[in-house]
Amino acid sequence: MGRYQEIEHTADLALHLWATDLPDLFTMAAQGMLALFVEVDDTQPETKTLTLTALDVETLLIDWLNELLYFVEVHGLAFTAFEFAALTPTALSATLRGGPVRAYTGYVKAATFHDLRVVATPEGYETEIVFDT
Amino acid sequence: MVQKSDFEQINDYVWELPQAYDGRMRVPARIYGSEEIFEAAFRDSSVTQLMNVAMLPGIVKYAMAMPDVHQGYGFPIGGVAAFRWDEGIISPGGVGYDINCGVRMLASQIDYAALEPYLKDLIASIDRNCPSGVGGKGAVQLSDKELDDVLERGAEWALSKGYAQRDDLERTESQGRIAGAQAGAVGARAKERGRPQMGSLGAGNHFLEIDVVDEIYDAEAADVMGLAQDRVVVQIHCGSRGLGHEVCGQYIRALQDAPRRYGIDIPDRELVAAPVDSREGREYLAAMSAAANYAFANRQILAHFVRRSFEQVMAGKVKNWHLTQVYDVTHNIAKIEEHQVGSQRMKVIVHRKGATRAFPPRHPELPAVYRSIGQPVLVPGSMGTASYVLAGTSTAMDETFGSTCHGAGRMMSRNAALKQARGEHVRSELASQGIVVRTGSLKGLAEEAPYAYKDVSLVVDSVAGAGLARKVARVRPVAVIKG
Repeated sequence: MGRYQEIEHTADLALHLWATDLPDLFTMAAQGMLALFVEVDDTQPETKTLTLTALDVETLLIDWLNELLYFVEVHGLAFTAFEFAALTPTALSATLRGGPVRAYTGYVKAATFHDLRVVATPEGYETEIVFDT
Repeated sequence: MVQKSDFEQINDYVWELPQAYDGRMRVPARIYGSEEIFEAAFRDSSVTQLMNVAMLPGIVKYAMAMPDVHQGYGFPIGGVAAFRWDEGIISPGGVGYDINCGVRMLASQIDYAALEPYLKDLIASIDRNCPSGVGGKGAVQLSDKELDDVLERGAEWALSKGYAQRDDLERTESQGRIAGAQAGAVGARAKERGRPQMGSLGAGNHFLEIDVVDEIYDAEAADVMGLAQDRVVVQIHCGSRGLGHEVCGQYIRALQDAPRRYGIDIPDRELVAAPVDSREGREYLAAMSAAANYAFANRQILAHFVRRSFEQVMAGKVKNWHLTQVYDVTHNIAKIEEHQVGSQRMKVIVHRKGATRAFPPRHPELPAVYRSIGQPVLVPGSMGTASYVLAGTSTAMDETFGSTCHGAGRMMSRNAALKQARGEHVRSELASQGIVVRTGSLKGLAEEAPYAYKDVSLVVDSVAGAGLARKVARVRPVAVIKG
């Protein structure tokens, strides 16, 4: 089980992520990002499915996070639990579980590619993501 | 790691990192600001980000940081760079997600003493008429056809629908419409996000503020702009909302393999770029211009509803409650402009990310009213402090592609700001200074607290000292709606 930690950024928000495998990385990134700015109402569960393909793992990760931001902004839904039917460095297929946004505690406009590198480590994966706010 | 000693001091306000410092840099990097401002740039990764910009193909003269520089993503905030049209690049990360985030100022003929008894009613009325917050619906709902019109016509669309006065458009950068915008270049998802949000402030650092003119530095220019001592003005700070964020994301993603296809070496993936004159470059330019037009229309709609609030609250209380537009500037954009580079007149694409255009007197793009004094430049400070109105200069034209600073510039991370004080405390501090605050988020209020920003006066003194703008007036806030 991985973890995330918020790191200092003068103008925006940033997370450092540690994960055991790709599903863990994508889960930590999503949960870390949403914890930055929303509280979820888990009494009204919502489910969606999502399929993405991308050039490489970094692009897939940023696409994934920006899809989740889209659900927050347009549909008022925050997804924080995931089942990955498939997840490779260039494609994913997942079931998303979550609920309506109960409260906003901040604002994230987008996940960025700034200095983004997903690094394989003996424990799994590590990366840092900067979010535009 | 680059250090202060690697820079050469050119004069009191200009510091230069020679191109030779790093073999990948194509031009030198310059930081504008007093010694104190220059030293502050080393507190985060601003300088590394500026060096990355200096490495991009086709860049001319310098990669430049204005005195409000701070760490961003891709470009530093406060970054200015121009690229040759014929062999340069355009980079969505050099504009950012909030395309055409900008500021509009409206001037009244009401003395603050006459408005003060009605201030709380007025700000409550504006808060009702001008929606704010994350997501959410705007004041105006658009059909698909109307949204396409907005994207291609910007503030002109607002004029055609009765949301503008003709001189509002004259007093807007690019007359509120960037030519070459194409609704067809904007993706379906961006349109889905933008359709319901027209006429909304958004969240984060966006705000709508009532201010009072508290100092005049240039009486002639202030008079031309409609600014007088103790008079009330309004500032609106927002951008292209979810539509702009989506356009930026769409093209950063689409361009991820462009550097490989075009053989462009980039130091940071957020700086992905395509040749300006390539299919991808032209498509991004058309989509970015469309998002910029959306932002011009958005600020125009908000201005319309601010005027309605002034009428609802102040009609019958004062003789003249009408608001005239001082100007509307964009501070996140890439624009095609002609500039003098050495002995050559050159067509370039100027990226301003957290920087403001500052064209000088007699520039042909300025409306007749401002031809003699230069373009008004609006520099909002942090919530509890002051904001400045400046005017463009020929020095800015010669040195910085007609650009200057855009604000105070953050100095402290949001977490560090939250550790200093709670939102309730920030609100009571502001109240003790006579500033009324309305916000949907007390945490957001603490994140945007005045102490999280540089002293805007130091920033403005630096641009004035460097000759990148001249001071016209200072305003102080009396009421703030924080998005």
